[in-house]
Amino acid sequence: MGTPRKTWLKLVSPLAWARAGAERRFLASFSETERGSSVDMLAAAELTNRRDLRAKYFIHALDEARHSRLFARRAKDFGAPKVRSKAALDEARTLQTHGIVNGRPLFERYGELEFLAFVCRSESMAVEQFGVYRELGVLDPQTDEMLGVILKDEHFHVSYSNGELERFTREGRGSEVSWARRKVFWRRPWEAWMRFSLRVGHVVTGVWMTLLYMLVVAPFRLMARREAPGWRDVTSDGRSPMALARAQG
Amino acid sequence: MATWVLGISALFHDSAVALLKDGVVVAAAQEERFTRIKHDAELPVRAAEWALAEAGITAEDLDWVVFYEKPLAKFQRILVNAVAEFPRAWRAFPRAMQAWLGRKMWIAGELARTFHVPPQKLLFSEHHRSHAASAFLTSPFDEAVILTVDGVGEAATTALWHGRPEAPHVHPVSEVVFPHSLGLFYSAMTAYLGFAVNEGEYKVMGMAAFGEPRFMEQMKQLVRLDEGGGFTLDLDAFCWHWHPTESFTPKLESMLGPARFPGSGFDPSTDEGKRWADIAASTQRMLEDALLHVAKAAKARLDLPNLCLAGGVALNAVANRRLAEDGPFEKVWVQPAAGDAGGALGAALWVWHDVLGHPRKKGAFACGLGRRWTEQQVSDILEDLRAPREALSPDMRLVRAVDDLEGGGVIGWFQGACEYGPRALGHRSILADPRGADTRDRVNARIKFREAFRPFAPAVTAEAVHDYFEVHPALEGPVRHMVATADVKPEHRELLAAVTHVDGSARVQVVHRESDPLFHALLTAFGERTGLPVLLNTSFNLKGDPIVDTPVDALAALYSSDLDAVYIEHHRVTRSERITGGDLQPEPDGDGT
Repeated sequence: MGTPRKTWLKLVSPLAWARAGAERRFLASFSETERGSSVDMLAAAELTNRRDLRAKYFIHALDEARHSRLFARRAKDFGAPKVRSKAALDEARTLQTHGIVNGRPLFERYGELEFLAFVCRSESMAVEQFGVYRELGVLDPQTDEMLGVILKDEHFHVSYSNGELERFTREGRGSEVSWARRKVFWRRPWEAWMRFSLRVGHVVTGVWMTLLYMLVVAPFRLMARREAPGWRDVTSDGRSPMALARAQG
Repeated sequence: MATWVLGISALFHDSAVALLKDGVVVAAAQEERFTRIKHDAELPVRAAEWALAEAGITAEDLDWVVFYEKPLAKFQRILVNAVAEFPRAWRAFPRAMQAWLGRKMWIAGELARTFHVPPQKLLFSEHHRSHAASAFLTSPFDEAVILTVDGVGEAATTALWHGRPEAPHVHPVSEVVFPHSLGLFYSAMTAYLGFAVNEGEYKVMGMAAFGEPRFMEQMKQLVRLDEGGGFTLDLDAFCWHWHPTESFTPKLESMLGPARFPGSGFDPSTDEGKRWADIAASTQRMLEDALLHVAKAAKARLDLPNLCLAGGVALNAVANRRLAEDGPFEKVWVQPAAGDAGGALGAALWVWHDVLGHPRKKGAFACGLGRRWTEQQVSDILEDLRAPREALSPDMRLVRAVDDLEGGGVIGWFQGACEYGPRALGHRSILADPRGADTRDRVNARIKFREAFRPFAPAVTAEAVHDYFEVHPALEGPVRHMVATADVKPEHRELLAAVTHVDGSARVQVVHRESDPLFHALLTAFGERTGLPVLLNTSFNLKGDPIVDTPVDALAALYSSDLDAVYIEHHRVTRSERITGGDLQPEPDGDGT
């Protein structure tokens, strides 16, 4: 059966891929993820002090960028969404821009060793996930063939990152490597928990703010007047330039 | 001891920094160039780190840090608007409060922590004042009318300023306030036409040339030009003032027909394509008419011969030309970072001149204010990446580049410091021979991966510009920065097919020897070989990416597209064959799985 994750993937994948528009949605999100990885790998190629690793990171970045384009192109093959919903619009915009990635590059946040451990783990998970899709036959032949090509690259990514980690181990940094692998392993559920908490917080504050708006703001509506359109003169309030510059309002 | 002022713009789009040493710009860059997130809005931490390192100082050496707008004034506008729009702003209100109470209200503290400066060194400009300062204080004028036009700042959406020879140099006169906004009107129409807001406005401008403005009657209902020189929008057709994500209402669709779905193809020969092109043309014409209307009112108020323009709308090169041709001003000035990125520069300049009281020292505005790379750094990177390359002498660099271009090649040109602002002006450019429409199609389809209808710009030497283009005399400044269009002379349109838009215009860049000697030399060398000192010049990036900033970015673009070669400083790098993972198996001492 493999890992619990693999078992879970085997259970849910057929259902997930059977939903209407699933191909387009999944492929678009894969494209976005791969594009994000490409940006991070390029940053690693720039930031690393290990000159021997620079080319590997660079090639990895090129692979990810290519995968992103392949996924995006294939997603577009499935046609535009039929309904002009917000989700459909967001999806269409994602495909137009290849997605956006947030935050500082992972390499800067983690450092070399932990970054490699992260790459190795993420790529292994991708190999597992894509492998399950192919094994279950949930993909159409063209997407399946494309994924086969991508999987070859992903295997290389697992291989070189794991090889580099083992080299660090041979260089006497075995305990650091083990620690980095453990950190990477536990970070994922921790971040998932944090994301979940943030969402809950977002919903709760959203509810409170809506209530505030409906109950507290309402009376002030009677006093609110929009300014008339057109030009209005701006007069100085007498503050010195420095006093003006210090004020936030 | 030098005085250091760091300007920062952030938290909306295109965050950036600009660092002044005794009033002179020593470094300026957008955060997107560092993070590779297009239009990155986050605090420009990496750009600031680079700027300080470039200047050889630390945060402790900074005398002042100035944010480009006043957060509390903006928050006040959002609150007042939410009240005025009760109850239909009920979805926008919680989102705005989460963003503001969760972060933006406390930006002063965050700035102090992030940039390691004590709170007493923090200053705050105003959004439109920053724009105004970025335009006037970089201009060649002693005195001018300044117009700032964009989406919205604190409350103003359009503002008139008096640029004066003495302090305060940037003096407020009058303003139009939210929600009546020409910038938001154009952005809403951008969304209606299926393009991303704050990104696709150029596409609307490009699409407009394919159409006729036959929807002007509807446009005049949407944007009414008032007698006093102002304008009033039909707020029932737009919803940016109460909806959290959308910008237009069903009323707009009832007036103009169904909106274009993002990502749909565009074929102006079809009825549907023609309708979109006509709507784009009408939108563009309406914006131009409104700007002219506003400019005439500004002229009537201040009666000065020169105009400085800034704000996102000032990046509309077609409108800038119309202002010059049909407007009341003798000279127009637009600097290349006219959008929000330029707010960092404007805020810093305002502090130096108007807050600290230092007199102006006018000089030519140089756009190459970003990161640059030494020969050694470039060599090391190319060596590490095992890129096929040849090192060239300065003369041979030009000869080989002209060889490539004349042979039909498309090259990446990565030289000196990266440009500040959205325009690639010969430091981070993709260049090609402008002769033949097939070059344009190839660059669009196989290098930039973008829509076929979008035009490319030409770069031309200052000596030859009037041989090929009809540049309005008022636009001498803006055409240096590719922020105004001109007609290609009819007899050269066929020759310059790759850079002539469907309406015969081009967004020309005029290159002067004294301000950009290397790019000028390349154009001259190409002219000597072909008789045509003109090149197709487009930004060095692929679709969805910011302009390249580092040699690694440039190589990634080379390997991810159909570029023929990249010139990184003195190195010509080619893509003899595609690198794949198989070329770089783990080292012999690694036994990866």
